[in-house]
Amino acid sequence: MPRTWHRWIPAAAAPVAIGAVVLGGVFATSASADPADKTPQQVLELAASSTVDTFSGTIEQSSNLGLPDVSGLGGSSDSGSSSDSSDGSDLSSALELLTASHTLRVYVDGPEQSRVQILDDMAERDAIRNGDDLWLYDSSDSTAVHSTLPADASTAPDASAESLTPAELATRFLDAVDPSTDVTIGDPVTVAGRSAYDLILTPDSSTTLVSSVEIAVDADTGLPLSVDVFAQGTSDPAFHVAFTSLSLDTPSADLFDFTPPAGTDVTEKALPNRDDAPAEGSATPDAGTHPEPIVTGTGWDTIVELPASTDPSSLTDSPMLSQLTTSVDGGHVLQTTLLTVLITDDGRVLAGAVPVESLQAAAGK
Amino acid sequence: MSSSDPRASGLNARRTTRSLGAGFFASELAVLFRRRRTWAMLLALAAVPILIAVAVRISSSGSSGRGPAFIDSITQNGLFVGIAGLTIAIPLFLPLTVGVVAGDSIAGEANTATLRYLLVSPVGRIRLLVVKYLAAVVFCLAAALTLSIAGILIGIALFPVGPVTLLSGDTVGIGDSLVRSLLIALYATVSLLGLSAVGLFISTLTDAPVGAMAATVVLSIVAQVLDSLSQTEWLHPWLFSHYWLGFADLLRQPIEWSSFGQNALLQLGYVVVFGALAYGRFSSKDILS
Repeated sequence: MPRTWHRWIPAAAAPVAIGAVVLGGVFATSASADPADKTPQQVLELAASSTVDTFSGTIEQSSNLGLPDVSGLGGSSDSGSSSDSSDGSDLSSALELLTASHTLRVYVDGPEQSRVQILDDMAERDAIRNGDDLWLYDSSDSTAVHSTLPADASTAPDASAESLTPAELATRFLDAVDPSTDVTIGDPVTVAGRSAYDLILTPDSSTTLVSSVEIAVDADTGLPLSVDVFAQGTSDPAFHVAFTSLSLDTPSADLFDFTPPAGTDVTEKALPNRDDAPAEGSATPDAGTHPEPIVTGTGWDTIVELPASTDPSSLTDSPMLSQLTTSVDGGHVLQTTLLTVLITDDGRVLAGAVPVESLQAAAGK
Repeated sequence: MSSSDPRASGLNARRTTRSLGAGFFASELAVLFRRRRTWAMLLALAAVPILIAVAVRISSSGSSGRGPAFIDSITQNGLFVGIAGLTIAIPLFLPLTVGVVAGDSIAGEANTATLRYLLVSPVGRIRLLVVKYLAAVVFCLAAALTLSIAGILIGIALFPVGPVTLLSGDTVGIGDSLVRSLLIALYATVSLLGLSAVGLFISTLTDAPVGAMAATVVLSIVAQVLDSLSQTEWLHPWLFSHYWLGFADLLRQPIEWSSFGQNALLQLGYVVVFGALAYGRFSSKDILS
């Protein structure tokens, strides 16, 4: 039907139009007003002087650590053996946080009130801090953990979810900036619709696994908006966390007012009080299980060593660990693109952003 | 298809009100909802939450074992039955019924040789396509609301009803939870817009309505299989079924609207592309039946 060919024009034009809109959206986000030029030192000062402590936003986090996705390995089989494998499920939930992609929502109103929500499929994990009350809620098995902060505690112990926000993570990297780090400024970037300086931290070391860290610092407020950690020899970030939306308005106060819903399994968990620890700490058996880690090396080559404390067989016999680790001279090694963990045969644990040879050398000392 | 009576009366209705688009749309709806098949499908959908509720009621009288999260919360609150019903119906039952309605839209008229009479009367082909599509959309809404309302009613009948616990752990009152149930039904309706457009396009390709229905349903299943394979991850955000279960975001506190928006945008893209394809095919086609 040659005379009706023009009736197919809309059908041909529609995908083109949609493609143009999608690509146009990509270009539009990159072509925003550039912030005023600043030296790396000025941006570092801007980030350090950031006073934003009231905001809400959505965060996307993904990682490419070269680890297998273990989300199906241990977490779901909690029906029968949850009582005796609490260590294993803690380990698997920590690994799940590291290996899978997540969408988080954060609401922060000052240092005393915060709420982090990890949005899972058909479920959600919440960490809420309201004054001295700390709540952890997991909707998939309707459990909640409640802790009360000691009145004189200066800093709240980080909930694992909270440490995933770009601001928290960036602060750790920025605090660690020392002469072993080259700080440069890349082209301005747009994160969550805000223009930002792209701070690039490059380790001045040949032995670390980290090739560079990119931190987007909001041009207006100095709030870190995204953190990308690149490993040696990869072009995709090994760890990526960024705001996808950000509002500096005060979040609604009732978000921080958490009461566990009816039918929730609530566990009360006492937090160790630092000031009380010397007085009665010697009597508690817990004191022995948290030995002081030994830190060797400096800057990016830092190696943390945990002395043999727990029964080493409990670590090496764990089926998940034996799947993830490979056997090397003197122990088992868990190799990711950013971090190497060596579990020696005598039960010590060494970790660092360095190749396994450095860990073996440190273990042999 | 034992629907000669409603079809004839529908044609009568068309003849009297054909000058108005709204009248044509109303008569098309009358044809759709006078069909016994439409009511059978809505009843079957209503049976989904009813069966869930009855099964849970019978089996959970003694034990309090933990099942899937939604099924488990039914026993604590009957208002969850509607949501559980939608969750179970969205992957298969809803696409099945939508595939029947959308796949039948043009091919069914062609098959019963009523298509040319429709077009002989001054009903433009574009208007016919639009009205057929809108009727399918109304059916999507009716199907989602049927599931939701049937679930809530059977839940109220069989289980205690009270304030609803959201995924975030917050508790909202009954009024708020009913609003959220309505929003979830709307979300499901929006989710099916893309599939309806695909079905409409397939329906213009053939004169055999069964083939168009089957092809539409098969496509919805293929999309969901692709969505579950990690090897096709790059394709996932483009699949019309990708956000189908994203209505969980409406059960958070505060409501996370981004998945609603992304879903609506994606479905709009499907409507534009497959609407244009359907127009290209239908307007250039020789109507012989």
